[in-house]
Amino acid sequence: MVSLFIPCTVDLLMPEIGTAACELLEHLGEQPVYHQDQTCCGQPLFNVGYRDQARRVAKHFIEVFGRDERIVSPSGSCVSMVKHHYPELLSHEPSWYGRARELAGRVFELSQYIVDVLGVTDVGAAFDGSVTYHESCHVLRSLGVSDQPKKLIGAVRGARYVELNNATACCGFGGEFAVGFPEISQALVKDKATNFLNTGADVLLLCEPGCLLNINGYLHRNHPEKKAMHLASFLAGNMKEA
Amino acid sequence: MEAHTDRFKVTAGRELKNELSQIFLSLLPPGFTILRQIGMSSFPDPESAVEQARAIRAEVIERMPELLEEFERNAVSRGARVLWARDAREANDIILDIARQRGITYATKGKSMITEEIGLNEHLIRNGVDAYETDLGEVITQLLELPPFHIVGPAINVPPEEISAVFLKKGIIKEPTTNPIELGKAVRVYLREKFRHLEMGIVGVNMAVAATGTIVNVENEGNIRMTKSSPKTLVAVMSLEKVVPTMADAVHMVRILCRNCTGQKMSSYVSMDTGPRKQGEVDGPEELFIVIVDNGRSEIYRDRETRDVLRCIRCGGCLNTCPVYAKIGGYPYGFAYSGPMGQVLNPLLLGIEETSDLYRACTLCGACRQICPAGVDHPSLLLTYRAREVSRKGKDRKVEKSLAALVTLGISRAWIWNLGVRIMRPLFRRLAQNGNITDMPLGLKGWFTCRDLPDMPARTFHERWIDRRDAPLPERQRKKEV
Repeated sequence: MVSLFIPCTVDLLMPEIGTAACELLEHLGEQPVYHQDQTCCGQPLFNVGYRDQARRVAKHFIEVFGRDERIVSPSGSCVSMVKHHYPELLSHEPSWYGRARELAGRVFELSQYIVDVLGVTDVGAAFDGSVTYHESCHVLRSLGVSDQPKKLIGAVRGARYVELNNATACCGFGGEFAVGFPEISQALVKDKATNFLNTGADVLLLCEPGCLLNINGYLHRNHPEKKAMHLASFLAGNMKEA
Repeated sequence: MEAHTDRFKVTAGRELKNELSQIFLSLLPPGFTILRQIGMSSFPDPESAVEQARAIRAEVIERMPELLEEFERNAVSRGARVLWARDAREANDIILDIARQRGITYATKGKSMITEEIGLNEHLIRNGVDAYETDLGEVITQLLELPPFHIVGPAINVPPEEISAVFLKKGIIKEPTTNPIELGKAVRVYLREKFRHLEMGIVGVNMAVAATGTIVNVENEGNIRMTKSSPKTLVAVMSLEKVVPTMADAVHMVRILCRNCTGQKMSSYVSMDTGPRKQGEVDGPEELFIVIVDNGRSEIYRDRETRDVLRCIRCGGCLNTCPVYAKIGGYPYGFAYSGPMGQVLNPLLLGIEETSDLYRACTLCGACRQICPAGVDHPSLLLTYRAREVSRKGKDRKVEKSLAALVTLGISRAWIWNLGVRIMRPLFRRLAQNGNITDMPLGLKGWFTCRDLPDMPARTFHERWIDRRDAPLPERQRKKEV
């Protein structure tokens, strides 16, 4: 049984990513469940420094997801929050810490789940065009997920993969950072967008809703003809009818 | 040195518009990073080499007090005098006293971050002892009265025209020139005079070897060796964390430091001094003072949450890989230390209250942690400081705190969350045009300086899920398209 962990940014602003993740999993023979009691993993609170509050949210999450065999999310940073920061946050409460540690091993980023757990690289998608991939910080450096999305992209029939210059560089999102340091954030997202435009690729793929809000927000304002896309949306949207 | 950490945003904004800084920043950090990669690849097993370095630093910060005592014993037994300074003022006074007691009018200096931290030059000069920097970059920043742009290359962003102008003004050159070789040669001639009559030299320390009492210095210009070997009196200034257990550890750390710093397998000069000149020896200082500066580090050490900061070996690797540093350079950090290592160290040295921008100006991308050969976990430390600021400040963050309490309540109970969604949606919808929001009032303004935000869709994922579940079976197939 696989349980969908839908980040709040996806739930509120980009629900089509959640739908795509769900479709992908169903297409691969899974029957995902969605707990309606889920809200947000508390990452924004934790990053700004509200630890007591984040702790309460972590406990809520553990209550909601605690009995699931496998938990899958289309967000590297939210998975990293649960996997790495929940145990740290709850380290002074032994029973909660135990539950957090035990939960950590069952949480997966979506592409990681499809490739590593389900053992699938070809989901049966086809795309006539060129694509490139942005290595989101938390997906790459916190979870070590990089080959998995590239394998999924590589198996899309017809898609030509173009290497993105400085693919592992931060896009300048950083949650609170983008709002608090807009000039620096702008300089970073501009570089990312420029590198994308220079590839000439039709679409920039990534596995992180935060980066997607940032990069697409910038593209929409400055280069409305171009767009970034969550890998889940890309794969689900280009799947041939079974 | 005087701290200007409160001007981070202003200075960052200025540097983002400074074309020259931007040109240097577009070249330097990536250049250093490539050199580092080439240097590291010369290890038979680079990953193990980093692991070993991290293990050495882990041991240092576990055993620091006993290692420092061991270092003191061995240094003293070889004839050095070890002096402990609790803070910047004590350190400065100790060094000034050494100079005064000997009637010394000037000293030359090797590049040293700890002496910048404590503001030694200013203190000596204010009290009648001239202090001459001898590292080329430090000479330039001292003459121009600039803070360091980079901890390794402090004047790396200063164009030759500016160097020529200030050299001309100070009489180091007679005719203006932008030829780097001539500028370098002129400084050598100028400094050689200082070394010839030198009575006192002041250097930092890269490693202090506990087992032998040796101080190790790494450099590329020979100026530190001149400063160490020319004078009668040598003063070496080190912060607590410079100690390493054994000579083998020191040698490994030199190999790691050079590769991470400039990409070199070994810097042009590595000098190891154990005590002053002994009878029968032909060179070296007649007396060696080692000043061990605490300046807040004991407290950093005692606190388990912050201790890891003391792992840092000042290689500058994190600066070169930091996306934020690569846009703004070293000036905005407002203190001796910049980039991620400055962001984790400055708040502890200067106080959490005065340095908020330093630990918040980070996207938590983790590139610094990944590259750090000493095993510093910068993002975790920054998150700790953020949490401490939030828990300390009372009034300043009142609105934010109320908001956080509200959000927490919403997140902890799904029905409040869903109610919140229903309240928020019309507000979003009012601001949106063609499915996008281009501006928002209040605290979120920063987002919209260069970006739009999608409008809240008609149905959240949560609502879509319910729609789907409630739909009759054929309908459910169709809803799949949603």
